[in-house]
Amino acid sequence: MLSQKTIEKVLNAAIETGGDFAEIFVEDKTSSSLTMIGGILEKAVSGRDFGVGIRIFKGYFSVYAYTNDDSEENLIKVARSAAGAITGQKQDSIMGLRKSAMRNAHEIKTMPDSVSKKQRINWMRRAHEAARGYDPVVTQTNIAFSDYVQNVLIANTEGIFVEDIRSRNRLAISAMATSGSQKETGFVGPGYFGGLEYMEELDIEAYAREAARSAKIILSASFAPSGKFPVIIDNGFGGVLFHEACGHGLEATSVAYKNSIFADRLGKMVASPLVTAYDDGTMPNTWGSLNLDDEGMATQKNLLIENGILKGYLIDKLGSRRMEMVPTGSGRRESYRYAPTSRMNNTYIATGKSTPEEIIASIEFGVFAKYMGGGSVNPATGDYNFNVREGYVIRQGKIAEAIKGATLIGNGMDTLQKIDMVGNNLKHEIGMCGSSSGTIPVTVGQPMLRVSELTVGGRKEE
Amino acid sequence: MQEFQRKLFEKGKDSGFGDMEIFYSSNKSTVVNVLDHEVKSYVNTEQGGVSFRGLYNNNMGYSYTEKIDEKSINFLVAEAMGNAEIMEMNDQEELFAGVDHYETLHRYSEAIANVSPQELIDAALTMENTALTASVLVKRVIQCALAKSEGETIIANTKGLNCHSKYTNLSAGIYLMASDGKQTATGGEYDFTLKDFSKLNFKEIAEIAAKEAVAKLDADSIQTGNYPIIFRYDTATQLVRSFSTNLSGEVVEKGFSRLQGKLGEKIAGDNVTIIDDPLMEDIPGAAVFDAEGYPTRRNELVKEGKLLRFMHNRKTGKKAGTESTGNAGKSGYSAPVSVGPHNLYLQPGAASLAEIIESTDNGIFIVELQGANAGINAVSGDFSLYGIGFLIENGKLGRPINQITVAGNLYEILNNIEAIANDLHIKDTVSSPSIKVKSLTVSGK
Repeated sequence: MLSQKTIEKVLNAAIETGGDFAEIFVEDKTSSSLTMIGGILEKAVSGRDFGVGIRIFKGYFSVYAYTNDDSEENLIKVARSAAGAITGQKQDSIMGLRKSAMRNAHEIKTMPDSVSKKQRINWMRRAHEAARGYDPVVTQTNIAFSDYVQNVLIANTEGIFVEDIRSRNRLAISAMATSGSQKETGFVGPGYFGGLEYMEELDIEAYAREAARSAKIILSASFAPSGKFPVIIDNGFGGVLFHEACGHGLEATSVAYKNSIFADRLGKMVASPLVTAYDDGTMPNTWGSLNLDDEGMATQKNLLIENGILKGYLIDKLGSRRMEMVPTGSGRRESYRYAPTSRMNNTYIATGKSTPEEIIASIEFGVFAKYMGGGSVNPATGDYNFNVREGYVIRQGKIAEAIKGATLIGNGMDTLQKIDMVGNNLKHEIGMCGSSSGTIPVTVGQPMLRVSELTVGGRKEE
Repeated sequence: MQEFQRKLFEKGKDSGFGDMEIFYSSNKSTVVNVLDHEVKSYVNTEQGGVSFRGLYNNNMGYSYTEKIDEKSINFLVAEAMGNAEIMEMNDQEELFAGVDHYETLHRYSEAIANVSPQELIDAALTMENTALTASVLVKRVIQCALAKSEGETIIANTKGLNCHSKYTNLSAGIYLMASDGKQTATGGEYDFTLKDFSKLNFKEIAEIAAKEAVAKLDADSIQTGNYPIIFRYDTATQLVRSFSTNLSGEVVEKGFSRLQGKLGEKIAGDNVTIIDDPLMEDIPGAAVFDAEGYPTRRNELVKEGKLLRFMHNRKTGKKAGTESTGNAGKSGYSAPVSVGPHNLYLQPGAASLAEIIESTDNGIFIVELQGANAGINAVSGDFSLYGIGFLIENGKLGRPINQITVAGNLYEILNNIEAIANDLHIKDTVSSPSIKVKSLTVSGK
């Protein structure tokens, strides 16, 4: 993408004023997104994102600059201008970068550009027809299919010089059920880190029917009860609980500045002894995985919590300086428009011993959260929230009537300590996570969990 | 750019395109962040990209690129052709030829463009220092940044449209943490200017954030039940923003809005008037033309509770049997043309926020809502959000409240607003003054 000579010149220009580290990130990404509404293809956009990000450190201080113009002359100009924010003497020059060969652990069998748009539309149409055909109550569908190939080059003054190709694709299915003026939507959105071979094997109809089933249930659901109850969170996307209640609070972005409730807690009990959690960026062909993070470091499987004890954080390069700890392969960014920072990849709570039947049977009165929407957290206070799209009331150990639209809230560490049953059915689901370095693909995961008490933000007093 | 445009249109014509259009935008920005009385980070950015659309076999095809060179011309034409070929709508989308006269607004300031990095750093340091000395309870400043940006947009097509605009913007924001040893709370504040750096009061921005974080300390939840709720302007804005998606002609046309078929009907209380006005000075959404080059205008969407019109671009307007309202939107060159507000707001009332609080015997004053990304269902209008606020007792603000959710329905709220304050702060493309709602469900203890 850029010659070694150019890269060396740019990096040298970046450290001219005394910077002690410089990095260049080149991104060339082609993407396509298609939208089908009610079975008719309505939007098709494709294009090319191209840019170069240059980052310089001096101690804890960081400078970031980016540009779309990759001519050597302009890149040196941008590097010099960024270096202008640092005052000092040049330490030493770098020369002789050696490109490292990388083993691709996430095979791409069918490159997106080898598949026609017509084929993509066929997949979308199958989703539309299956959702629409599920039940007459389903009146509208919105099917989106997106894919991209992102070529990156990352080089830095520590000698890293690597290139990688990343490809992802996702089918997002929304089904809307209508009754009078009431409208509710069900959503599923399977996706893959790899090529379009995923779509060739995907049971599109099953996913589409699931979105339609969920919409129909939500349409018939009543409002959730309001107050504090025991809550069971289903496996899969329920992992958004850990993602919000804990994951963000373990990122160096908060921890290095002591802006997290989990700062200075390594080796301490922060969760119930039933909780063991990982962030694993190496899971093969999984939505949130990468060969290399966006700082050029190989991803790894990071143990975060073991039997309730805090074992590790998610650390990027800049965070590692302040924390005096090694990076964990967690430096990520949406694109060249963002400086990388510590982020999650595939986070999950490890499998436990209880069966789902045991967990449900254990509750007299409570809430079963089946499908979650998104959530958010304030890492400084630990207060988090996440939304339940499809839920049920549990009465006398049995799943009873459907409920909708409840937000569950709590405080991170308090909730982790209240997890008192962990199921044996670990499952991962994909999502997008937005934070200071942009919106990136991640997975969340967990087995079914029971939390002894959570505030349920419903609209009905029990 | 003109040379690129000429060659692109030439290549497009040779490839069988009819009318064609480019949308070019570029932006330069500088952001400084300070921490512990030093510059923490410095970000300098430059970007530009071009989006192309054109009629091919009567279908509109779209493409974009950030790499602007000879090779990209072939790429743009080929991609747009491929996208046009698969379109299944017979919309007969047409490009707009432009009008002779557009309104004039001043969105570019040489003075803002020339603010030096050092001035940004000094202002950020002043903000941080003010915050840290405002109270002993303020423990850390989490984020303290000054950002300056300038950019331009060009929309030009083969039918003669040639629109050009330039803008500048300078903003200051602070987010900090207070602690009393037992509890931690955060507070933030933000302000901006398009023209005048001296208009920003950095000390005041910091003081507001510090005061807010400190006031939230020593909070506790409250008994589950129904309470009268006053949403401060910033939290009311989150609700109005979510509701406003239902006023998009595009959302209505696709069947995703409950307002479909309700034109001319009462959908809200008599005190609710919602306006989109891009032709005001000194607002972030100021614009004299939209993303299709169509002239903008002030539109009353809801007047005294009655639904008057939806926002439209040329395509959705035509489909609805009406005209564009000048609300074509485009979130950057990579996005297709959609529909969106420029400067939509709920019309303020006469009473001050203080007067509304005084007239409330008991209730909750909400100053922060979290989880709006997932906790509001814009289609059904149902919402359930994490709230932070203060108890109101006998017309006075009392203790802080946290760990509660506030739940209700946006459509129901619009019919149950007891009072609208006079404190409209326009800081984004959607704004609302503070509002008082009769009763909502609060989940707590």
